[in-house]
Amino acid sequence: MKKLPLHSQILAGMALGIAWGLIASHFGWVEFTIDWIKPFGIIFVNLLKLVAVPLVLVTIVLGVASLSDIGKLTRIGSRTLFWFFTITVLSATIGLLFAATFQPGKLLSAEKRDEIKTKYAADAGSRMGAAEVVKESGPLQIVQDIVPENIFFASQNNRNMLQVIFFAVLFGLGVVLSPKEKVVGVLRFFEGVNEVILKIVGLIMKYAPVGIFALIGALIVDMAGDSPADAIAILKVLGIFAVVFIGALLALMFVLYPILIRSFTNFKYFEFLRALMPAQLVAFSTSSSAATLPVTLECTEKKLKVSHEVAGFVLPLGITINMHGTAVHQAVSALFIAQAFGHDLSVMQYGIVILTSALASMGAPGVPGSGIIMLLMVLGAIGVEPEGIALILAVDRPLDMLRTIPNIVGDALVAGIVEKREMEH
Amino acid sequence: MMSKLKAIPLHTKILLGLVLGLVYGMLTIQLGWSADFTVDYIKPIGTIFVRSLKMIAVPLILASLIVGVANIGDISKLSRMGGKTLGIFLITTIIATSLGLFLVNTIKPGKKLPIETRENLMALYNTTAESKVTVAESIKNSTPLQPLIDMVPENIVQSATDNSSMLQVVFFAIIVGIALLQIPKKKGETVIAFFDGLNDVIIKIVDYIMIIAPYGVFALIASLIVEIAGDSPEKAWELLKALLWYSMTVLTGLFLMMGVVYPILLKLFSKIKYKDFFKGMRPALLLGFSTSSSSATLPVTMERVEKLGVSEEVTSFVLPLGATINMNGTSLYQGVAAIFIAQALDLNLSIAQQIMIVLTATLAAVGSAGVPGAGMVMLVIVLESVGIPTAGIALIVAPDRILDMVRTMVNLTGDAAVAVVVASTEGELDPKLTRENILTQS
Repeated sequence: MKKLPLHSQILAGMALGIAWGLIASHFGWVEFTIDWIKPFGIIFVNLLKLVAVPLVLVTIVLGVASLSDIGKLTRIGSRTLFWFFTITVLSATIGLLFAATFQPGKLLSAEKRDEIKTKYAADAGSRMGAAEVVKESGPLQIVQDIVPENIFFASQNNRNMLQVIFFAVLFGLGVVLSPKEKVVGVLRFFEGVNEVILKIVGLIMKYAPVGIFALIGALIVDMAGDSPADAIAILKVLGIFAVVFIGALLALMFVLYPILIRSFTNFKYFEFLRALMPAQLVAFSTSSSAATLPVTLECTEKKLKVSHEVAGFVLPLGITINMHGTAVHQAVSALFIAQAFGHDLSVMQYGIVILTSALASMGAPGVPGSGIIMLLMVLGAIGVEPEGIALILAVDRPLDMLRTIPNIVGDALVAGIVEKREMEH
Repeated sequence: MMSKLKAIPLHTKILLGLVLGLVYGMLTIQLGWSADFTVDYIKPIGTIFVRSLKMIAVPLILASLIVGVANIGDISKLSRMGGKTLGIFLITTIIATSLGLFLVNTIKPGKKLPIETRENLMALYNTTAESKVTVAESIKNSTPLQPLIDMVPENIVQSATDNSSMLQVVFFAIIVGIALLQIPKKKGETVIAFFDGLNDVIIKIVDYIMIIAPYGVFALIASLIVEIAGDSPEKAWELLKALLWYSMTVLTGLFLMMGVVYPILLKLFSKIKYKDFFKGMRPALLLGFSTSSSSATLPVTMERVEKLGVSEEVTSFVLPLGATINMNGTSLYQGVAAIFIAQALDLNLSIAQQIMIVLTATLAAVGSAGVPGAGMVMLVIVLESVGIPTAGIALIVAPDRILDMVRTMVNLTGDAAVAVVVASTEGELDPKLTRENILTQS
C-alpha cells in the first residue's frame, strides 16, 4: 500500500467504496454501513474542514507578508479577480449554449413535471425560505459581508471564509508595513504554524483512502437505500438534464480549460490534470471545495510549482468566488426549469442568465448545497417560477459532486495564469 | 496582620474557607438569618470563582497539551523505552479511572442524598427534564460511533467557544503537538516557544485564581448549604454526609491504587519488594502530600527512585514525563467526582457517557502539569464534556483540597512504580543498590 502513489490509493478506496455500496445495498446492510462505515467518512470531511480556516489564515498572512512591495498585491489581486470573473462568465455561457441547443426542459412532459414538483415541494420550500433572506439584502450586501465584525466569530464557521481572508490580508499588510525587527517573532510563529498545518494535512491525507472509501460507500447506500426502482424512474425523467449538464462540464474541462492553459500558462494540459488528481478525487468525494483546499494547495504548490505567494492568495479566494462548475450548473438549471415551464426566453434574458449565473456562483459559499439557494436568484431575475427548483433537487447530490471538480481545477488554473504573468513581470 | 495572613499557606487558607463556609451556612440555618443576603452577596463570589476556573480551561488545555506532546520529542531517540513507558502510563491511567468509576457506581455516594434534596439541587442548577430528554433523543438517533465523530472538530474556533466540546480541543491540541514533533525542529521552535510561554502565563493566571480560592470555597459551600437546606438543619447534615461518602469513595479508590494495584504491578514486573519501595519513597510522598504538586516534588522523587536502584537514564526520562502526563490519582478522582455530581443531580449517565468521562479524564490529566489547582480546572472540563452542569462543582469543591493532597501521593507513586517497572524490564535496575540504600536509611 505504501508504494502506491496517493491518487492510486484514493482511487482504490473509491473503487472499494463503490463495490461495498453496491454489495451492501444488494444484501440490505444499510444499517451496518450507516453505523460503522459512514462515520469514518464524516470524520475525514471534518478533519479537512478543521484545517481549512487556519490554513487560509496562515497562507494568506504569509503570502501577503512575503510580498516585496504592496503594488504586487494590487497586481496579483486585480489579475486574480479579472480571471475569476472572465472564466466564470465563460463557464456560464457554455452552460447556456448547451441548454439552449439541446433544450432538455422541452422533453419533460407537463404531468411528469408536476409529479416531481409536488414530490419535492417541501424540500424546495425550505430552500426558498433561505433564499428570501438573500433576496432581501441590498446589492452591496456581498461587499458589506466581506468585512467581519469580530474575527473570532467569523472564524467559527467555514462559510465566512471571505471574512477570514479579508482579515488575513489586512493582517499581512500590517506585518509588511511594520519595522521588520518588531514583527520577526510574529512572522516566525506563523511560519511555524504553517509547517504544522501542512504536516497535519499530510497526516490527514494518509487517512484519505479510508475516508473516501467510507464516503462513497455510504453515499451509494444512501442513494440506493430508498428503492432502486425509484432512482431509475427519476433518472429516466431527469437523465437528459444530467446528460446536458455533464456535457457542458466536459466542454468546460476539455475545451475551454485546455485553450486557456495553452495560451496563458506554461503547463501541459494532461500534466496539469494529473498533478491535480488527488485534489479532484477529494473534491468529488466531499463535494466541498473548502474541504478540498488543503489538498488543492499542496498539489498546486508541490507539483505545479506555483509560488506560495500566488497559490496562497488565489486558491483560498477561489474556493468561494471562483466556481466554474457551479456557474455551468446555474445556467443549465435555469434554462431547464424555464423550458419545463414553457417560458420562451429572449436574447436579453439569456444575457441576464449568464450574468446572474456568474454572479450567483461567485456569491455562493464553498459549502455543499449552497448552489441551489443561489439558483433561486437566477430564476427570480428572469421571472421563472421559483418552485421549479424542485425539478432538479432529486439529482443534485451526484451533480454537486461532479461540479466541485471544475470548481477546484479552475482555481488552480487561475493560480497558474497569475503565476506566469508574475514571473514575466 | 497582613503579613501574618500571607504567611498562612494556601491550602490551609482554603481549608479555613471550607470550615468557615460550613459554620456560616449552619449558623444561617440555625439562627434563621436571611437567606437572601447569602444568595445576593455571598454566592456571587463563588460564582466568580467557578467562572474564572472555566475561563482558563480552554487555554490551559490547549497550551499545556501542545507543549506536553511536543516535548515528548526525545521519544524517537528512546523509542523502545518511550513506547513502553507510554504504554504503561496509559494502562495504569485506565485502571485508575475504571477503578474510580467502578467504586462510585457501586457505593453510589450521590444517592445518599434524599430524593427531595436531589430535586432541589436539580432545580437550582436548571437541569430541566426537557434538556435531559433532548440529550437522550440525540443519543438515540446517532450511530454507535457518534462519540468518535464528536471528538473531531469541524472548526477549532467554534470548539474553543464551547466548554462542552473540550474533547475536540484536546484532539486538536494533540494533533498539533504530534505535527510539531514531526516537523524539523528549527521550523517548529518558535511555535513551541510561543506555547511554552503561553503555558507559563496561564499557570500564573491559575495561581491568581487560586488566591481567591479560599473565598470562593467559602462562598460556594455557604450558599450551597443555605440554598439546599432552606431552613431545616437535617438537610444540611445530609448534604455533608453525602460529601463524606463521596470523599470516602475517592479515598478508598486511592488507597486501593496504593495498596493493591501498584504492589501487583511491582510484583509482576520487578524484583523490588513493595515494602522497600514504599519505604524508599516515603520522603517524596510526604512532600507530595504537603505541596499537592508533583512538579514541585519532582527533584525529590527522582533522587528517591534512583536510590531504589533505577538508573539515571530511566528516571530522567520516565519521571518528568510522568509528572506531566501520568496522574493516576487525578484520573481516578475525576471519574468519581463527575459521576458523584451526576448522581446527586439525578442524571443517569449511559455507558457511552461514562466512557467519555474516562477518556476526557485521562486526556485532561495529561495536560494538567502538576499545577496545584489545575485539577479543579480539569474537572470543569470533564463535567462539561458530558453535559453535567458545572455549577454542580460547588458540591465537590469543598473537600477538593484534602483529596488533592492524597491524590498527589498516588500520582507520585504511580510515576515511581512505572519507572521501576520500566527499569527492571530494561535491565536498568540494580537490586543490590536497593537493599543497601534502604538498609542504610533505616
